[in-house]
Amino acid sequence: MKNSIIIIALFALSFQTYAQQNEGIIHFTRTTYWTKLNGTLSYLSKQEKEKQAYMFGGKDDWKEYTLLFFNEKESRYTHSEEQSEESEGYSWRKEEYNIRRNFEKNTMNDAVEMLGKVYLIEDSLQVPNWKILNDIKDVAGHICMKAMIQDTVKNQKIIAWFAQDIPVSAGPERLYGLPGLILALDINDGAVTVEASRIESKKLTTELDLPKKQKGKKINDAAYQEMLRKFIQEKIKEERNPFWIIRY
Amino acid sequence: MRPPKPVIGFYPKFIVKKYLQQLQSIMRKFSIFLFLCLFYTFSSLAQNPLRVSIKGIVQDTSSDVLAGATVMLLQPKDSALVNFSRANDKGIFEFRNVKNAHYILKISYVGYIPYQQLISPSVKEIVDLGTIGIKPISKELLEVVVKTARAPLTIKGDTIEYDARSFKVPQGSTVEDLLRRLPGMEVDAQGNIKAQGKDIKKVLVDGKAFFGDDPKAATKNLGAETISKVQVFNDKSEQAKLTGVDDGKKEKAINLELKDEYKKGAFGKITAAVGTDSRTALRGNYNRFNKKEQFSILGYGNNINETGVNWSDYGEFKGNNTFNQNDNGDFGFGGGGRYYYSNGDGITNNFDGRGFTKNGGGGVNYNFDNKKTKLSTSYFYNQTRLTLDQYQSKKTFLQDNSFTTIDTTNQSNFRGNHSIGTRFEQMVDSSNTVIAKVNLRFSTNTIATKEAERNFSEANALRTATELNNSSDVSSFNLTSNIIYRHKFKKKGRTFAFSTGYNVNNSDGTENLNSTSKFLNAGTVADQIRALGQLNNNANRQNLLKGSALFMEPLSKKIYWESFYNFSTDNREVGRDAFNAKLANQRMDSLSTYYKNNISYNRFGTSMRYSHSGVNVTLGLAALRIDLDGKLYPRKDAQLISSISRNYNEVTPYIGADIELKSNTYLSFNYNLNIDAPQIADLQPVINNNNPFYLSTGNPDLSPEKSHSLGTYFYKFDPATFLNINLWADYSYYLSQVVYNQTVDPTTFVTRTRPENLSGGRRFSSGLYTGFPIIKTKLTVNVNSSLNVSSNPTYINGVLNQNNTQNYEFRLGFSLTPSEKLIISANGRLGFGIIKYTISEAQNQHIRNNSLDASVKWNFAKKTFLETNLDYTNYRNDRFDFNQDIPIFNCSVRRLFLKENKLEVRLAAFDIFNKRQSIVQQGYQNTVSNLTALTLARYFMLSLTYNMKGHVDKLKKNQGWE
Repeated sequence: MKNSIIIIALFALSFQTYAQQNEGIIHFTRTTYWTKLNGTLSYLSKQEKEKQAYMFGGKDDWKEYTLLFFNEKESRYTHSEEQSEESEGYSWRKEEYNIRRNFEKNTMNDAVEMLGKVYLIEDSLQVPNWKILNDIKDVAGHICMKAMIQDTVKNQKIIAWFAQDIPVSAGPERLYGLPGLILALDINDGAVTVEASRIESKKLTTELDLPKKQKGKKINDAAYQEMLRKFIQEKIKEERNPFWIIRY
Repeated sequence: MRPPKPVIGFYPKFIVKKYLQQLQSIMRKFSIFLFLCLFYTFSSLAQNPLRVSIKGIVQDTSSDVLAGATVMLLQPKDSALVNFSRANDKGIFEFRNVKNAHYILKISYVGYIPYQQLISPSVKEIVDLGTIGIKPISKELLEVVVKTARAPLTIKGDTIEYDARSFKVPQGSTVEDLLRRLPGMEVDAQGNIKAQGKDIKKVLVDGKAFFGDDPKAATKNLGAETISKVQVFNDKSEQAKLTGVDDGKKEKAINLELKDEYKKGAFGKITAAVGTDSRTALRGNYNRFNKKEQFSILGYGNNINETGVNWSDYGEFKGNNTFNQNDNGDFGFGGGGRYYYSNGDGITNNFDGRGFTKNGGGGVNYNFDNKKTKLSTSYFYNQTRLTLDQYQSKKTFLQDNSFTTIDTTNQSNFRGNHSIGTRFEQMVDSSNTVIAKVNLRFSTNTIATKEAERNFSEANALRTATELNNSSDVSSFNLTSNIIYRHKFKKKGRTFAFSTGYNVNNSDGTENLNSTSKFLNAGTVADQIRALGQLNNNANRQNLLKGSALFMEPLSKKIYWESFYNFSTDNREVGRDAFNAKLANQRMDSLSTYYKNNISYNRFGTSMRYSHSGVNVTLGLAALRIDLDGKLYPRKDAQLISSISRNYNEVTPYIGADIELKSNTYLSFNYNLNIDAPQIADLQPVINNNNPFYLSTGNPDLSPEKSHSLGTYFYKFDPATFLNINLWADYSYYLSQVVYNQTVDPTTFVTRTRPENLSGGRRFSSGLYTGFPIIKTKLTVNVNSSLNVSSNPTYINGVLNQNNTQNYEFRLGFSLTPSEKLIISANGRLGFGIIKYTISEAQNQHIRNNSLDASVKWNFAKKTFLETNLDYTNYRNDRFDFNQDIPIFNCSVRRLFLKENKLEVRLAAFDIFNKRQSIVQQGYQNTVSNLTALTLARYFMLSLTYNMKGHVDKLKKNQGWE
């Protein structure tokens, strides 16, 4: 008797989630914790990192809002017009950041502003080297599985939580390639977190369309990564934080 | 070949028996896999196909197909994702044409326990896994997973890890109570623990033994709420650890992992230094903290002119209360003032370069922060005893005349402060915040001054000479308190803030004025010598009540409307009773006063702001009213002599723009009309005769200062070349300025000043800073130049004098880091000032201050550093025939010792050439002056610093935020 109630409850639950949301907009909150971010810099001594945490821990967070437009074939990730509480109504200029993925054609078409220049990164999608881990957690009402990837250029350990019930390979930032949609990211033990706050299931109209004219310098992904690598190396050598200038 | 270690995560019911059954079944499966793996490893020597297809059907335990289940192929060695697919509507999945290798097949479906199965290389081209049944997660477990978003238990190798937060125990429970609830764990009445039927011999806390070997010490004494994880593992026997020979005996052990917030820490350092000329210094600080609390003690004492601690030590002392946001309750144009700020509290070193000081201070600070409530409180006492000897020569220009004043001063000064501060911040809920601050300060200040002043005529004849011997003793009390309330409305961007504050400033003191003045030109003998002996009793009271409100409303996505209101009422009471010490302490009515002043201030302002993608433009208008009310009495509790009552109404516009353009370019502009009420001391209609040759009187008819001010700023950064450019310009024009008009007696040179309002004063300053690397990461150059032009009018004996000054400064600096171990920097500075006086154009002054400094930091041997710098400055004014070179050369060697470099020994030589003195050259109004003060020159010092956390054993390229 008891078991059958459980089964009914589970059915109800699986029906709820079975209505797959394979098209829509995900609202993400991207939070940077500066003392944790600084804690990943190799040139700072243990004492300096501890001191920063001691003085600024607990009030070092900076929030931004981002959007992911997706359907089964394509996705676009960019800034949201929404302003954070910290801004008090002041609006800062947002750098060009439009991450476009086409899973059908297997292509990326990203417009990223870096070092004051807009780069158009056009390349095919390589299979990222995800590791699938065992934990599960709930993000914005979806049960997500844990996956991990290493970014060797930015020296980041990235944990992604992907929804089991949204079979789309898209994700926030420049990440993709998991069996389900990525709803949360944790970069380097919480230095930067990206988490879905709201999932809007709706039919998209022009959100995924490529702009007619895109200004910027065309490069491939390898060249872009090489540029990042060189810049980070230079800044670290100067003992200055590269992530004041480029996106973490 | 060793079989891959399985990584199994599963989610048991809270029934011990069932859990153990599951565990056993997994173990059984695992041994089958082991066997299969071995088998296939051998059999793979035979010819296997290179590529295979893997297929199967996903069902649940009641044989319903699970359409849409996620099926993944992982690499066994690191769980790397190789391929993934979905079960179709018949529950069928298939991976076509994949490499024939070992895989973990993982199936996940919402509401079901993730399924894992090992797949080995196949001899056939199609691997049919048949029907795979996956189990639903029990309801209570699903709740745990969904609600806490955590798996309660995981297995890593032979360690079972429980997430303590998933097992609820009543408040105040011990770890023992928590263990009783963990599946697979038994605790008997005596507190003996068994895990999976075996005795626990050892309990570790964060991997370390907790009070000896008794496992009950930790479980009975630690609170369950301090634990984040419980890990059960097989430990090697003590014998094995000792001998290093694994005897195969395993003992069950538990490790309790503490929650972050219960992770405690402490740091601190102490420095003791002794030097030549009995120079000594001692300073130390100690901090203890956990995730919520910070406690610190700081103390120092020295006779090397460090009147306080440096900013780095200050930051450690105040901890997370060093910088606070939103603490400004005086709302105005340009938002509510959400910026971080820190003021040093008078604890930081503020020595101005003159004299010799003995200093001491110490205090405690406590911070509490649990995200919702923040409380900080501190007490600090500090004192400074200053001995100052200085020499000043000042030339004063009159319309057709000039005179020179030579001053020799010897002063001893004692300052002592007790300060107590508390700040409280409460986040009531996500939309309401309250901040309350109270600071109290008790101070005493004792000054004794001996001064000899001589005035010489233009022809260098001594006209007057005076000897002063003044002393004063003042004690004061100061209170500042402030409450700020902020509310965020449901509508995003709509906010309201309110603040109220109450400040008290009381001081009581006595002044003893003694002087003998000789007037060498006086006609009669009686006029030739004048002696003054005066005793002043001063009592000043001030209390200020203020309030501010701010309301912000988003009219659209891009337009914000902001309004504010400020109110303050400032009550002051100034009392001075002057007595003639030469005449039986008779009251000197002409020099005594008692008056009460009230200044009320009301301002209402409103502004509109356009804010969109980096463009923020604000236009605003404020109306303000200042009411001044003054009452003058001959003495306290006496009849009113006179009263003044004035009010000023003004409308002030505001323009502000912040524009962020593409490619790291930033522009800002602002315009303000400033209205400042006169200083109350300037309104005081009584003579200040502390110096008989410089008498000042207040002016009750003063009106507020009124000025236009304009500011612009430009910044550009080129990330490719790392070039950055900063340019700024500020201009202000006074419609009404409080200036000190002078009447100078042409024979005695006695100067009387009186503040009056004048228009026409102007100030302009502009600067450029740019820096870029010549060789990236090795050689950087920076250029810094500035220009200050000002025009200040004053009336001298009824004639208008314009004092026009122009100051130019140009700096060029290089910083070279040829290796990690060597940092060299060199800077040159040219400073040039022109001072013109319209009253006496022949007397235009040219002041020059040029300097060159070079420093080297060299890590020349392991843990050993040489730091040296030479600062060479030339001060010059040809008209004064003044030309002084001050070369300051410092050098020190330090070495780190002990484990983690905890000890630093430093031998330092300060001012090796023994040349240090303080020189200030300046010109203002109708004067030009040159001041030289003695200060601490050459000394050698040996210091030892013990730092609990160790010293950094490399050179820092940038000081960073320190």
